[in-house]
Amino acid sequence: MDILARIQAASITAPCLAPQHHHKHLQQLCFPMSTGHHFSCFYMHQNHFPVAMPGHPCRIPSGSIRCQSGAVEAPEMQDVKFSKSMLSFDMGKDRLSKVPASQIRNFSIIAHIDHGKSTLADKLLQVTGTVSDREMKEQFLDNMDLERERGITIKLQAARMRYVAKDGEPYCLNLIDTPGHVDFSYEVSRSLAACEGALLVVDASQGVEAQTLANVYLALENNLEIIPVLNKIDLPGADPERVRNEIEEIVGLDCSEAIFCSAKEEGIGIQEILESIVAKVPPPKDTSMNPLRALIFDSYYDPYRGVIVYFRVVDGSIKIHDKIQFMASGKEYEVDELGVLSPGQMQVNELFAGEVGYLAASIRSVADARVGDTITSSANKAGMALSGYQEAVPMVFCGLFPVDADQFGELREALEKLQLNDAALKYEPESSSAMGFGFRCGFLGLLHMEIVQERLEREYGLNLITTAPSVVYRVQCADNTVVECSNPCELPEPGKRVWIEEPFVNIEMITPKEYIGTLMELAQERRGEFKEMKYITESRASVIYILPLAEMVGDFFDQLKSRSKGYASMEYSLSGYRKSDLVRLDILINGEPMDPLAAIVHKDKAFAVGRALTQKLKELIPRQMFKIPIQAAIGTRVIASESISAMRKDVLAKCYGGDISRKKKLLKKQAEGKKRMKSVGRVEVPQDAFMAVLRLEKEVV
Amino acid sequence: MGSYVTTLCKEITSTLSQLPQASPLKTLFFGGGTPSLLPPQYLSRIVDTLDQHCGFQCDAEISMEMDPGTFDKQTLKQFLGLGVNRVSLGVQSFNEDFLKACGRSHGLQDVYEALDIITGLNVSNWSLDLISSLPHQTLEHWEECLREAIGLSPAHVSVYDLQIEEGTKFGVWYKPGHHPLPDEDKSASFYRLASSLLREAGYEHYEISNYAKPGFQCRHNMVYWKNQPYYGFGLGATSYFNGKRFSRPRKLKGYADFVELCINQSSDNFSANEEYLSFYSNTVESVEDRVCDTIMLSLRLASGLNLNELSKNFGHELRVHICKSFLPFINSGHAVAVDSKFKTVPPDTFSTALSEQSASKVLKDVIFIRLTDPDGFLLSNEIISSLFTDLPIK
Repeated sequence: MDILARIQAASITAPCLAPQHHHKHLQQLCFPMSTGHHFSCFYMHQNHFPVAMPGHPCRIPSGSIRCQSGAVEAPEMQDVKFSKSMLSFDMGKDRLSKVPASQIRNFSIIAHIDHGKSTLADKLLQVTGTVSDREMKEQFLDNMDLERERGITIKLQAARMRYVAKDGEPYCLNLIDTPGHVDFSYEVSRSLAACEGALLVVDASQGVEAQTLANVYLALENNLEIIPVLNKIDLPGADPERVRNEIEEIVGLDCSEAIFCSAKEEGIGIQEILESIVAKVPPPKDTSMNPLRALIFDSYYDPYRGVIVYFRVVDGSIKIHDKIQFMASGKEYEVDELGVLSPGQMQVNELFAGEVGYLAASIRSVADARVGDTITSSANKAGMALSGYQEAVPMVFCGLFPVDADQFGELREALEKLQLNDAALKYEPESSSAMGFGFRCGFLGLLHMEIVQERLEREYGLNLITTAPSVVYRVQCADNTVVECSNPCELPEPGKRVWIEEPFVNIEMITPKEYIGTLMELAQERRGEFKEMKYITESRASVIYILPLAEMVGDFFDQLKSRSKGYASMEYSLSGYRKSDLVRLDILINGEPMDPLAAIVHKDKAFAVGRALTQKLKELIPRQMFKIPIQAAIGTRVIASESISAMRKDVLAKCYGGDISRKKKLLKKQAEGKKRMKSVGRVEVPQDAFMAVLRLEKEVV
Repeated sequence: MGSYVTTLCKEITSTLSQLPQASPLKTLFFGGGTPSLLPPQYLSRIVDTLDQHCGFQCDAEISMEMDPGTFDKQTLKQFLGLGVNRVSLGVQSFNEDFLKACGRSHGLQDVYEALDIITGLNVSNWSLDLISSLPHQTLEHWEECLREAIGLSPAHVSVYDLQIEEGTKFGVWYKPGHHPLPDEDKSASFYRLASSLLREAGYEHYEISNYAKPGFQCRHNMVYWKNQPYYGFGLGATSYFNGKRFSRPRKLKGYADFVELCINQSSDNFSANEEYLSFYSNTVESVEDRVCDTIMLSLRLASGLNLNELSKNFGHELRVHICKSFLPFINSGHAVAVDSKFKTVPPDTFSTALSEQSASKVLKDVIFIRLTDPDGFLLSNEIISSLFTDLPIK
């Protein structure tokens, strides 16, 4: 108890509740991105000892009182500094205290990238005192470097806020953040399913974008109350009236009460938003007497505590030390730790229907507690799981090989670790003569693929070669079987195939009208089939195509952005499989097929792709001691060919006493260079050439 | 000049007097910079110092690099009187434009005057340096130049490529392989032409860049290529003895300090001794270095790599390993295996011998592996670096 005593000595006298649960790890108390432990400790302390402060009486709500979560002991700490930072928490300090379900509001924010979702979320946290000005780090909710750099949210988090509304009642507001990319639409749908309402945030100068639209539809499917918010109204280019009409026309939403807002410094409209959430978003049903059902909307792996599961209690209640079961995976665990996110993890003893929280139960892998699964109580099982659970199905595949063959083991370990945290990531070992040992990996989409690659390189220090992304083809074979294949090398022989089917997507592009032509051109080039075009306002249109997913996984999105100077946006969804005239294009160097460069391409494109790849290889492979033919072939038919003439001269003319060391250095350097090359038969291909050709392949295939 | 020679002689004295017994020198080479500018009295001091501490064998080869336009008949006569018996003349080209282009201070007139002096004094062992792959040079120009050289009948010819070093004015003007410099293919044809014309004229192509009439190989340079030990004295000079390679400081001040250290070291001054040793600390050749040296140097010679010596110094396993590494080059005609009777071992026989588990008699019979002239020589870097890549030692 002396730790607590010391804290108290340094703290405000608090009507103390005996700590019931002891923290073992310091880091458990720190919320993500916190600048130091001191702050976290103080923060915890303040919030766990309900303190009556002048002007903010500690209200114990009437009705069913489930007050007082277990207080938490703060870790050891020497010098708690008391200053104005303390006061800035006054407002948010009671946010752990319980309110009846009728005073809970669960909502999320739907917005396009750059339309100000993160800034708005930050502002809400600040205004409600959930996070102090000092501690406020911009875009609090995006806590991965990668997300920060790309300005998008990949992993979701939640924040519990306490807000005393104009009616004088305290409300518990749970903001559940959603990822902003179509690759993660399943995760988005689960987060939305955990809410009763959503803020639709639209940039008042930009208007509605494709992804926003997709997410609004998801919200409507989940019967969410949608509150339109026009953001950045104080920017010079803002035209809130036009955008208001746009939303009404496209989404069919009544925008007469749309809130005008500017989340940047002044915080225009923030109060209205909070009031509107209280007034419009329906409270969760109080079903706390029913058997426990909680919806998992996110989970991540923590090396100390196992998987941390984020969930929304739909029915019943959950207590620390409860035995729980994950209904889809069937796995049972005991709850070691239970808490809420505010936005750091803060422990409580029990959560009830309508509340949002997290738990830790020494779960070994996120695969045991997948997004969308239902948590129930082992002792009092629910009859039926919540609907909407899906296993993640990878859509895009590529080969990942370590540049340095010695890193194969490290790559495997890194993938294992990432998978603990990413149930959607699939991988299996693959080997190729040119690339050595690596893995064939499956991803939800291109962004997911890039994220995994970057994390492997950045967090695990791996140097990787990635093959061009491919999709899953369905091959109808002569023997009446259907083979699914994502690796060009595993495509059945032409003689054994009857036809090949490939996945197609429905793609919707929203663009200012001046770029309609160029985007239609882009879609045509990518074998797109025009479906529909409609003007959503006078100046903006929505263009819908059906095109092969394989054409999308390359640089389609980059092209869309660059051809529309960044103004167009897109969204896609899988529409099913269709027959296509596809062939396998092989690249041969000195007669040896280079497996990683093999690609499945449309027959009409094979020649152009073959020529581009052979030319690039000719440019990049240095001359060697013999002439090297480079060919592109479909089966045995060569459709493009180049050759590299033999090296003529590579000799150090003079070599005498003083030169020996220097020349040896040169030769050793040359030898080192050879070690970095990949041998394809007798030909040494520099790593760079591989990379460049793979890059080119991503563009041209 | 006088003080430099004094320092140089101090270095010689201090080095040689530390050796228990220095055997008489077989060869001596004055090179680097322009030694022909050295006044004969200084040469005399250097030769005397060497003579005092180790002496010379009676048939010692004493070479001096001389540039046209830097010496007269009297000087050379004095050099010869002091024991110089081999002259290496840096002619470079027999074309006035190319002489200018390769940045030489001498003109064609100087070249012919120098040649007159050498023949006038009946120097029979003299060598001529030529440079190929000069800017704007064509195959016809090069052939003219080679024929002119052959006509003068030197005992020895060295042929180098123009080396473009970064940071030199050449490096700023020209990029290798780009006009007006000849491209790789043209440069290779220059090399082939030199090899065929000089061999036709009776010169043996005994090293990648060197040709000699029978008996006139440069014995001093052979020491380098055979990876044998040698002393080195003077500014920037390198030496290789007691298994250590060492480069002396390239600046006058640094060199003078180094010689001071050498002297103090020999007088049992402890701290100087430490500092002196630190000069040498990184220069002990590792086994890998010695293997690399042996490979890269011996393959420069027409005689090639001596496998018996290789297994004697580094073990039998390495011999088999290296033979395996050579196989693709032997198959492609860039290298040949030679038996104890100096007969070529056919690639098939060599390959079969290697594929058998234990090294068969055939493999034991392979004594030398050498690069072919000109195909193997022309790609020697590629071959040597491949061999390095394959080496089993880290």
